[in-house]
Amino acid sequence: MKIVKQLAILLLLCFISEIISKLLPFTFPSGVIGMLLLLLLLLTKIIPVNAVEDVCTFLTKNLSLFFLPATVQIVEQFDVIKEHLLPIIIIIMVSTMLTFGVTALTVTLCMKAQNRIRGKKNAA
Amino acid sequence: MLHDFTSSALFGLALSLLFYLFGVWLNKKIKTPLVNPLLVAVVLVLSILSIFDIPMEDFMSGGSIIAAFLTPATVALALSIYNQRKTLKAYFFPVVLGCFAGSVTSMGSIYLMCRLFKLDETLTMTLLPKSVTTPIAMSISEGLGGIPSVTVAMVVGTGILGALICPILIQLFEVKDPVAQGVATGTCSHAIGTSKVMELGELQGAMSSIAIGIAGLLTSFIALFL
Repeated sequence: MKIVKQLAILLLLCFISEIISKLLPFTFPSGVIGMLLLLLLLLTKIIPVNAVEDVCTFLTKNLSLFFLPATVQIVEQFDVIKEHLLPIIIIIMVSTMLTFGVTALTVTLCMKAQNRIRGKKNAA
Repeated sequence: MLHDFTSSALFGLALSLLFYLFGVWLNKKIKTPLVNPLLVAVVLVLSILSIFDIPMEDFMSGGSIIAAFLTPATVALALSIYNQRKTLKAYFFPVVLGCFAGSVTSMGSIYLMCRLFKLDETLTMTLLPKSVTTPIAMSISEGLGGIPSVTVAMVVGTGILGALICPILIQLFEVKDPVAQGVATGTCSHAIGTSKVMELGELQGAMSSIAIGIAGLLTSFIALFL
Protein backbone atom coordinates (compact mmCIF):
# COMPACT_ATOMS: atom_id res chain seq x y z
CA MET A 1 0.00 0.00 0.00
CA LYS A 2 2.76 2.40 1.02
CA ILE A 3 4.51 2.05 -2.33
CA VAL A 4 1.25 2.50 -4.24
CA LYS A 5 0.53 5.71 -2.32
CA GLN A 6 4.02 7.08 -2.94
CA LEU A 7 3.86 6.17 -6.60
CA ALA A 8 0.45 7.81 -6.90
CA ILE A 9 1.79 11.08 -5.44
CA LEU A 10 4.84 11.06 -7.71
CA LEU A 11 2.93 10.18 -10.88
CA LEU A 12 0.28 12.80 -10.16
CA LEU A 13 3.05 15.35 -9.75
CA CYS A 14 4.56 14.25 -13.09
CA PHE A 15 1.18 14.55 -14.78
CA ILE A 16 0.67 18.08 -13.42
CA SER A 17 4.19 19.02 -14.60
CA GLU A 18 3.39 17.68 -18.05
CA ILE A 19 0.30 19.91 -18.22
CA ILE A 20 2.33 22.94 -17.05
CA SER A 21 5.03 22.13 -19.62
CA LYS A 22 2.41 22.01 -22.43
CA LEU A 23 0.88 25.33 -21.31
CA LEU A 24 4.23 27.17 -21.23
CA PRO A 25 4.88 29.34 -24.30
CA PHE A 26 8.45 27.93 -24.54
CA THR A 27 9.89 24.38 -24.44
CA PHE A 28 10.96 23.36 -20.96
CA PRO A 29 11.44 19.73 -19.83
CA SER A 30 8.46 18.56 -17.75
CA GLY A 31 10.81 16.44 -15.62
CA VAL A 32 12.68 19.55 -14.49
CA ILE A 33 9.38 21.35 -13.72
CA GLY A 34 8.36 18.34 -11.62
CA MET A 35 11.74 18.30 -9.91
CA LEU A 36 11.40 21.97 -8.91
CA LEU A 37 7.80 21.39 -7.83
CA LEU A 38 8.67 18.40 -5.64
CA LEU A 39 11.68 20.21 -4.14
CA LEU A 40 9.42 23.16 -3.27
CA LEU A 41 6.76 20.87 -1.74
CA LEU A 42 9.42 19.07 0.33
CA LEU A 43 11.06 22.30 1.53
CA THR A 44 7.70 23.80 2.56
CA LYS A 45 6.83 20.44 4.22
CA ILE A 46 3.54 20.29 2.27
CA ILE A 47 4.71 16.81 1.22
CA PRO A 48 6.59 15.04 4.05
CA VAL A 49 9.76 13.20 3.01
CA ASN A 50 8.34 9.81 4.00
CA ALA A 51 5.43 10.26 1.57
CA VAL A 52 7.75 9.85 -1.45
CA GLU A 53 11.03 8.57 -0.01
CA ASP A 54 10.98 4.88 -0.99
CA VAL A 55 9.79 5.36 -4.56
CA CYS A 56 12.21 8.26 -5.17
CA THR A 57 15.14 6.30 -3.79
CA PHE A 58 14.24 3.28 -5.93
CA LEU A 59 14.01 5.43 -9.07
CA THR A 60 17.25 7.37 -8.53
CA LYS A 61 19.20 4.27 -7.47
CA ASN A 62 18.24 2.51 -10.72
CA LEU A 63 18.27 5.59 -12.93
CA SER A 64 20.11 3.98 -15.83
CA LEU A 65 17.51 1.20 -16.18
CA PHE A 66 14.91 3.74 -17.23
CA PHE A 67 16.86 5.04 -20.20
CA LEU A 68 17.91 1.61 -21.40
CA PRO A 69 15.06 1.31 -23.97
CA ALA A 70 15.78 4.81 -25.32
CA THR A 71 19.46 3.96 -25.71
CA VAL A 72 18.69 0.68 -27.47
CA GLN A 73 16.91 2.70 -30.17
CA ILE A 74 20.29 4.20 -31.06
CA VAL A 75 20.79 1.41 -33.66
CA GLU A 76 18.42 3.34 -35.89
CA GLN A 77 20.86 6.29 -35.75
CA PHE A 78 24.16 4.45 -36.22
CA ASP A 79 24.76 5.97 -39.68
CA VAL A 80 24.55 9.52 -38.30
CA ILE A 81 27.16 8.76 -35.65
CA LYS A 82 29.45 6.76 -37.92
CA GLU A 83 29.60 9.59 -40.42
CA HIS A 84 30.75 12.13 -37.80
CA LEU A 85 32.53 9.88 -35.32
CA LEU A 86 35.87 11.74 -35.18
CA PRO A 87 34.45 15.26 -34.66
CA ILE A 88 32.05 13.88 -32.03
CA ILE A 89 34.90 12.26 -30.07
CA ILE A 90 37.00 15.44 -30.25
CA ILE A 91 34.05 17.60 -29.15
CA ILE A 92 33.28 15.34 -26.18
CA MET A 93 36.90 15.21 -25.01
CA VAL A 94 37.68 18.92 -25.38
CA SER A 95 34.42 20.18 -23.90
CA THR A 96 34.54 17.78 -20.95
CA MET A 97 38.06 18.92 -20.01
CA LEU A 98 37.19 22.62 -20.51
CA THR A 99 34.05 22.27 -18.40
CA PHE A 100 36.01 20.60 -15.63
CA GLY A 101 38.71 23.30 -15.67
CA VAL A 102 36.33 26.28 -15.72
CA THR A 103 34.09 24.83 -12.99
CA ALA A 104 37.03 23.94 -10.73
CA LEU A 105 38.54 27.41 -11.17
CA THR A 106 35.21 29.18 -10.49
CA VAL A 107 34.51 27.14 -7.35
CA THR A 108 38.08 27.61 -6.06
CA LEU A 109 37.85 31.40 -6.49
CA CYS A 110 34.39 31.52 -4.86
CA MET A 111 35.58 29.39 -1.94
CA LYS A 112 38.54 31.74 -1.40
CA ALA A 113 36.23 34.78 -1.48
CA GLN A 114 33.72 33.12 0.86
CA ASN A 115 36.42 32.11 3.34
CA ARG A 116 37.84 35.65 3.31
CA ILE A 117 34.40 37.17 4.00
CA ARG A 118 33.67 34.61 6.73
CA GLY A 119 37.15 35.14 8.19
CA LYS A 120 36.53 38.88 8.40
CA LYS A 121 33.16 38.29 10.07
CA ASN A 122 34.77 36.01 12.63
CA ALA A 123 37.58 38.51 13.29
CA ALA A 124 35.08 41.36 13.80
CA MET B 1 6.72 -18.35 -34.70
CA LEU B 2 9.25 -16.54 -32.50
CA HIS B 3 7.48 -13.28 -33.24
CA ASP B 4 4.33 -14.53 -31.48
CA PHE B 5 6.26 -14.48 -28.22
CA THR B 6 8.56 -11.50 -28.69
CA SER B 7 5.71 -9.13 -29.58
CA SER B 8 4.42 -9.51 -26.01
CA ALA B 9 5.22 -6.55 -23.76
CA LEU B 10 6.64 -9.01 -21.24
CA PHE B 11 9.50 -9.87 -23.59
CA GLY B 12 10.95 -6.35 -23.69
CA LEU B 13 10.34 -5.87 -19.97
CA ALA B 14 12.04 -9.10 -18.92
CA LEU B 15 14.92 -8.65 -21.33
CA SER B 16 15.62 -5.10 -20.10
CA LEU B 17 15.50 -6.00 -16.40
CA LEU B 18 17.59 -9.13 -16.83
CA PHE B 19 20.40 -7.48 -18.78
CA TYR B 20 20.36 -4.39 -16.56
CA LEU B 21 20.84 -6.62 -13.51
CA PHE B 22 23.65 -8.44 -15.28
CA GLY B 23 25.30 -5.10 -16.15
CA VAL B 24 25.13 -3.95 -12.52
CA TRP B 25 26.55 -7.29 -11.36
CA LEU B 26 29.39 -7.18 -13.90
CA ASN B 27 30.21 -3.58 -12.95
CA LYS B 28 30.56 -4.65 -9.30
CA LYS B 29 32.78 -7.58 -10.27
CA ILE B 30 35.04 -5.64 -12.63
CA LYS B 31 35.48 -2.30 -10.95
CA THR B 32 36.13 0.05 -13.87
CA PRO B 33 33.97 2.84 -15.30
CA LEU B 34 34.53 1.23 -18.71
CA VAL B 35 32.18 -1.62 -17.74
CA ASN B 36 29.15 0.67 -17.43
CA PRO B 37 25.92 -1.20 -16.50
CA LEU B 38 23.88 0.66 -19.13
CA LEU B 39 26.50 0.07 -21.83
CA VAL B 40 26.64 -3.67 -21.04
CA ALA B 41 22.84 -3.96 -21.09
CA VAL B 42 22.48 -2.04 -24.38
CA VAL B 43 25.10 -4.19 -26.13
CA LEU B 44 23.44 -7.40 -24.89
CA VAL B 45 19.89 -6.33 -25.82
CA LEU B 46 21.07 -5.27 -29.29
CA SER B 47 22.90 -8.58 -29.73
CA ILE B 48 19.78 -10.59 -28.88
CA LEU B 49 17.63 -8.48 -31.20
CA SER B 50 20.08 -8.90 -34.06
CA ILE B 51 20.86 -12.63 -33.55
CA PHE B 52 17.19 -13.64 -33.44
CA ASP B 53 16.17 -10.99 -35.95
CA ILE B 54 13.61 -9.46 -33.58
CA PRO B 55 12.14 -6.14 -34.76
CA MET B 56 12.62 -3.01 -32.63
CA GLU B 57 8.83 -2.58 -32.32
CA ASP B 58 8.64 -5.92 -30.50
CA PHE B 59 11.25 -4.87 -27.97
CA MET B 60 9.71 -1.45 -27.51
CA SER B 61 6.25 -2.78 -26.67
CA GLY B 62 7.79 -3.69 -23.32
CA GLY B 63 10.60 -1.13 -23.45
CA SER B 64 8.22 1.81 -23.65
CA ILE B 65 6.72 0.80 -20.29
CA ILE B 66 10.16 1.20 -18.69
CA ALA B 67 10.79 4.41 -20.62
CA ALA B 68 7.57 5.87 -19.20
CA PHE B 69 9.35 6.08 -15.83
CA LEU B 70 11.99 8.50 -17.14
CA THR B 71 10.06 11.61 -16.12
CA PRO B 72 9.22 10.27 -12.63
CA ALA B 73 12.91 9.35 -12.22
CA THR B 74 13.92 12.93 -13.09
CA VAL B 75 11.38 14.32 -10.62
CA ALA B 76 12.75 11.93 -7.98
CA LEU B 77 16.13 13.73 -8.21
CA ALA B 78 14.44 16.45 -6.10
CA LEU B 79 14.80 14.16 -3.08
CA SER B 80 18.58 13.91 -3.59
CA ILE B 81 18.85 17.72 -3.69
CA TYR B 82 16.56 17.96 -0.63
CA ASN B 83 18.68 15.46 1.30
CA GLN B 84 21.79 17.55 0.55
CA ARG B 85 20.17 20.88 1.49
CA LYS B 86 22.48 21.50 4.49
CA THR B 87 25.66 21.03 2.46
CA LEU B 88 24.16 23.09 -0.37
CA LYS B 89 23.36 25.93 2.04
CA ALA B 90 26.92 25.99 3.38
CA TYR B 91 28.44 26.22 -0.11
CA PHE B 92 25.58 27.86 -2.02
CA PHE B 93 27.49 30.47 -4.05
CA PRO B 94 30.53 28.35 -4.94
CA VAL B 95 28.25 25.52 -6.08
CA VAL B 96 25.71 27.57 -8.05
CA LEU B 97 28.28 29.88 -9.67
CA GLY B 98 30.56 26.92 -10.43
CA CYS B 99 27.74 24.92 -12.02
CA PHE B 100 26.62 27.96 -13.99
CA ALA B 101 30.12 28.69 -15.33
CA GLY B 102 30.58 25.00 -16.13
CA SER B 103 27.24 24.64 -17.91
CA VAL B 104 27.86 27.75 -20.03
CA THR B 105 31.37 26.52 -20.89
CA SER B 106 30.07 23.07 -21.81
CA MET B 107 27.30 24.29 -24.10
CA GLY B 108 29.37 27.18 -25.51
CA SER B 109 32.37 25.02 -26.38
CA ILE B 110 30.18 22.31 -27.94
CA TYR B 111 28.33 24.87 -30.03
CA LEU B 112 31.53 26.50 -31.30
CA MET B 113 33.18 23.17 -32.13
CA CYS B 114 30.05 21.94 -33.93
CA ARG B 115 30.24 25.06 -36.10
CA LEU B 116 33.97 24.49 -36.62
CA PHE B 117 33.39 20.89 -37.79
CA LYS B 118 30.34 22.01 -39.81
CA LEU B 119 27.98 19.57 -38.07
CA ASP B 120 24.31 20.10 -38.87
CA GLU B 121 21.74 21.70 -36.57
CA THR B 122 20.21 18.37 -35.44
CA LEU B 123 23.55 16.90 -34.37
CA THR B 124 24.54 20.15 -32.63
CA MET B 125 21.34 20.11 -30.57
CA THR B 126 21.90 16.41 -29.86
CA LEU B 127 25.37 17.11 -28.42
CA LEU B 128 24.63 20.36 -26.52
CA PRO B 129 23.21 18.87 -23.27
CA LYS B 130 25.71 15.98 -23.10
CA SER B 131 27.28 16.93 -19.76
CA VAL B 132 24.09 16.76 -17.67
CA THR B 133 22.30 13.76 -16.23
CA THR B 134 20.61 11.55 -18.86
CA PRO B 135 16.88 12.15 -18.23
CA ILE B 136 17.36 15.94 -18.29
CA ALA B 137 19.74 15.76 -21.26
CA MET B 138 17.18 13.70 -23.21
CA SER B 139 14.35 16.14 -22.70
CA ILE B 140 16.56 19.15 -23.50
CA SER B 141 17.73 17.40 -26.68
CA GLU B 142 14.15 16.61 -27.67
CA GLY B 143 13.01 20.17 -26.97
CA LEU B 144 15.80 21.66 -29.09
CA GLY B 145 15.18 19.27 -32.00
CA GLY B 146 18.03 16.83 -31.36
CA ILE B 147 17.94 13.00 -31.39
CA PRO B 148 17.36 11.83 -27.77
CA SER B 149 18.70 8.26 -28.26
CA VAL B 150 21.99 9.62 -29.61
CA THR B 151 22.13 12.15 -26.77
CA VAL B 152 21.98 9.26 -24.26
CA ALA B 153 25.02 7.67 -25.89
CA MET B 154 26.91 11.00 -25.75
CA VAL B 155 25.95 11.48 -22.09
CA VAL B 156 27.15 7.99 -21.15
CA GLY B 157 30.34 8.46 -23.19
CA THR B 158 30.99 11.77 -21.41
CA GLY B 159 30.36 10.16 -18.02
CA ILE B 160 32.78 7.31 -18.64
CA LEU B 161 35.40 9.75 -19.96
CA GLY B 162 34.88 11.97 -16.90
CA ALA B 163 35.27 9.05 -14.50
CA LEU B 164 38.54 8.16 -16.22
CA ILE B 165 40.08 11.63 -16.57
CA CYS B 166 38.67 13.71 -13.68
CA PRO B 167 41.10 12.18 -11.13
CA ILE B 168 43.94 12.99 -13.58
CA LEU B 169 42.64 16.54 -14.19
CA ILE B 170 42.49 17.14 -10.42
CA GLN B 171 46.24 16.41 -10.28
CA LEU B 172 47.06 18.24 -13.51
CA PHE B 173 45.21 21.50 -12.68
CA GLU B 174 46.25 21.17 -9.00
CA VAL B 175 42.66 21.42 -7.76
CA LYS B 176 43.19 21.23 -4.00
CA ASP B 177 39.78 22.33 -2.71
CA PRO B 178 37.53 19.28 -2.10
CA VAL B 179 34.40 21.32 -2.93
CA ALA B 180 35.92 22.34 -6.28
CA GLN B 181 36.94 18.73 -7.00
CA GLY B 182 33.38 17.51 -6.40
CA VAL B 183 31.45 20.27 -8.18
CA ALA B 184 33.73 20.18 -11.24
CA THR B 185 33.37 16.40 -11.59
CA GLY B 186 29.58 16.44 -11.16
CA THR B 187 29.14 19.33 -13.60
CA CYS B 188 31.19 17.80 -16.41
CA SER B 189 30.39 14.10 -15.98
CA HIS B 190 27.19 13.70 -13.89
CA ALA B 191 26.51 10.44 -12.01
CA ILE B 192 29.21 8.28 -13.62
CA GLY B 193 31.92 10.80 -12.70
CA THR B 194 30.37 11.18 -9.24
CA SER B 195 30.77 7.46 -8.52
CA LYS B 196 34.52 7.88 -9.10
CA VAL B 197 35.10 11.16 -7.22
CA MET B 198 33.31 9.63 -4.18
CA GLU B 199 36.48 7.58 -3.69
CA LEU B 200 38.35 10.81 -2.87
CA GLY B 201 36.10 11.61 0.10
CA GLU B 202 32.58 12.14 1.41
CA LEU B 203 32.53 15.92 0.79
CA GLN B 204 33.66 15.43 -2.81
CA GLY B 205 30.90 12.86 -3.37
CA ALA B 206 28.20 15.06 -1.81
CA MET B 207 29.28 18.13 -3.82
CA SER B 208 29.39 16.11 -7.02
CA SER B 209 25.88 14.74 -6.55
CA ILE B 210 24.51 18.22 -5.76
CA ALA B 211 26.19 19.47 -8.93
CA ILE B 212 24.31 16.86 -11.01
CA GLY B 213 20.95 18.37 -10.08
CA ILE B 214 22.02 22.03 -10.15
CA ALA B 215 23.89 21.75 -13.46
CA GLY B 216 20.89 19.92 -14.99
CA LEU B 217 18.57 22.64 -13.79
CA LEU B 218 20.80 25.50 -14.99
CA THR B 219 21.44 23.84 -18.35
CA SER B 220 17.70 23.52 -19.03
CA PHE B 221 17.31 27.22 -18.19
CA ILE B 222 20.21 28.19 -20.47
CA ALA B 223 18.67 26.05 -23.24
CA LEU B 224 15.62 28.33 -23.13
CA PHE B 225 17.70 31.08 -24.71
CA LEU B 226 18.86 29.00 -27.68
